Amino acid sequence: MGEVLGQLGISGPLLLSQIVNFVILMVLLRLFLYQPVLNMLEKRKERIAQSLKDVERSSNAAAEAEKERAKILEEARREATEVRAQSARDAERIAQEIRSRADTEATDIRMKAQADAEAQVQTVMAEAKKQVADLAITATEQLLGRELQNRDEQERFVNEYLALQSGSGK
Amino acid sequence: MTKLVGFFTNLVQNPRRRNITLGVIVLLVGSIILKPLMSSPHVSLAAEPLLEHGPAWFTNALLTTLIVDIILIVLALMTRASLKEGVPSGLANVMEMVIEALYTLLENVAGKNAKRFFPIAMTIFFFVIVSNYSGLIPGVGSIGIYHGAEKEEGGHSLVIEEKVAAADETAAFSLFAAEEEGHAKFVPLLRAPSADLNVTFALALITMIMVQYYGISALGGKYFKKFFNFGGKGFMGAIFGVVGILELISEIAKIISFAFRLFGNIFAGEVLLAVMAFLVAFLLPMPFYGLELFVGFIQAFVFMMLAVVFFSTAMVGHDDHH
Repeated sequence: MGEVLGQLGISGPLLLSQIVNFVILMVLLRLFLYQPVLNMLEKRKERIAQSLKDVERSSNAAAEAEKERAKILEEARREATEVRAQSARDAERIAQEIRSRADTEATDIRMKAQADAEAQVQTVMAEAKKQVADLAITATEQLLGRELQNRDEQERFVNEYLALQSGSGK
Repeated sequence: MTKLVGFFTNLVQNPRRRNITLGVIVLLVGSIILKPLMSSPHVSLAAEPLLEHGPAWFTNALLTTLIVDIILIVLALMTRASLKEGVPSGLANVMEMVIEALYTLLENVAGKNAKRFFPIAMTIFFFVIVSNYSGLIPGVGSIGIYHGAEKEEGGHSLVIEEKVAAADETAAFSLFAAEEEGHAKFVPLLRAPSADLNVTFALALITMIMVQYYGISALGGKYFKKFFNFGGKGFMGAIFGVVGILELISEIAKIISFAFRLFGNIFAGEVLLAVMAFLVAFLLPMPFYGLELFVGFIQAFVFMMLAVVFFSTAMVGHDDHH
C-alpha cells in the first residue's frame, strides 16, 4: 500500500500541506474577494432598486406637472376667451351708446334748426304780412284816391282778411 | 475530381492561401528537422522534488501551487481595489460577473444554503481552473533542472525508462552537458497542481469532510443513521445494515473518484500534449490545446458542482424522502 502511494507521489506531509494551503486560500479569498464582491453586488442591487423607484416617482411627478400645466393652460384659454367676449360686448355696448347719443344729438340739432327756421319763417311771414297789409292799404288808398277815415278799422279789416287767406292757404 | 484539382490549384494561386500553405509546409518540415533533437516527453506520475539534495517535500507541484495561490490572491486584491459603487469596469466587472453567475447557479442547486457553500465551492472552482490552466502555459513541464545520476535510485518518481536515453540524446544541447554522462534525470521546474495526486486528494478530502460536517450540522445525530441503520426488523434490518455499509463505502469511493477524476483528466491531457508535441512539434498540438482548455474548465466546474450537490444531499435527511 505504502509502495503504491509512494509511486503515485502521495505522501502524508504533502497531502496535509495541500489541505492547509487550500483552507488558507479559501479564507483569504473569502476575505478579499467573495465578501467584497457579494457586498458590492448587494449594494448595487439596492441602488438600482432605489433609482428605479426614484425614476418612477419623478415620472409620476412629471405626469402630475403635465396635468397641472394642461389645466392651467385650459383655464387661461377660457379666461382669455371670456375676456375677449366681454370686451367685444363692452365695445358693442359703448359703440351703441355713442351711436345713440350721436343720434339724439343729431335729432336735437335738427329739431332746433327746424324750430329756428320755423321761427324765422314766422317772423318773416309776419313781417311780410305787415308789409303786404301796409302795401295793400297804401294801394287801396291810392286806388281809391282817398284816405280812409278810419285807419284803424281798415287795418283790422286787412289783417282779418290776410289771416283768412293764410289760414286757407296753408 | 475537377473540384479537387481546383482546390489544390487555388491553394497555390490564391496569395493568401499560398502563404498559409507555405507556412504549414515550413512548420511540418521544421517539425521533421527538429525531431531528432527532441527528448522524448517527460512523463512522471508523481511530482518530483525540485532540489537534488533538498527536502523531498519541496516538489515542483508544491511550488506551482504556491504560485497559483499568489495569482489568485493578487487577482482578489486587484479586484477588491477596482471595486466601486458606480458602473463596474475592468477586472472588477469580470470577477463580479463570474462570481454572480456561479452564485446564481449555486442558489439554483442548493437553495437557501448557497451562502454557506459559496466560499468553498467558489475556491474549489478558482483554484482548480487556475491549476488546470497553469499546466497549459508553455514552459510549465518543459523547463526544468537535470539532476545527477545518484538521485536516480531514490525511486521517488516513476520516470519512464526512455527518459534516460532521451536525456543522452539532448546532451549536446543541454547546459548540463557535463552531467549527462551518468544518467541525468530531468525535473521540470513547474507542474500543474491538478496533475499531482496530493492536491487532488487534498481537495477531495476537504470536500468529503465538509459533506460530513454539513450533514451533521443539518441533521445532528440522525445523519449517522444513513450508515448505521438498525431500525428495521428481521429481513429489512439486514437490508438496512448492508445499505449502511454500502453508504459508508460510497463515501470513501467519492473521495477516490474526486481525486482521480481531476488528476486523470489533467495528467492525461498533459501527457497527450507532450506526446503530440513530440510526434509533430508544430500544428498537431493545436487542436489538443483547445481540447485541454475545454477539459480544464469542465473539470473545475464538475468538481465544484459535484461538491455542491453532495453538500446539499447530505443536508437532506433520509426520512425526508419517504
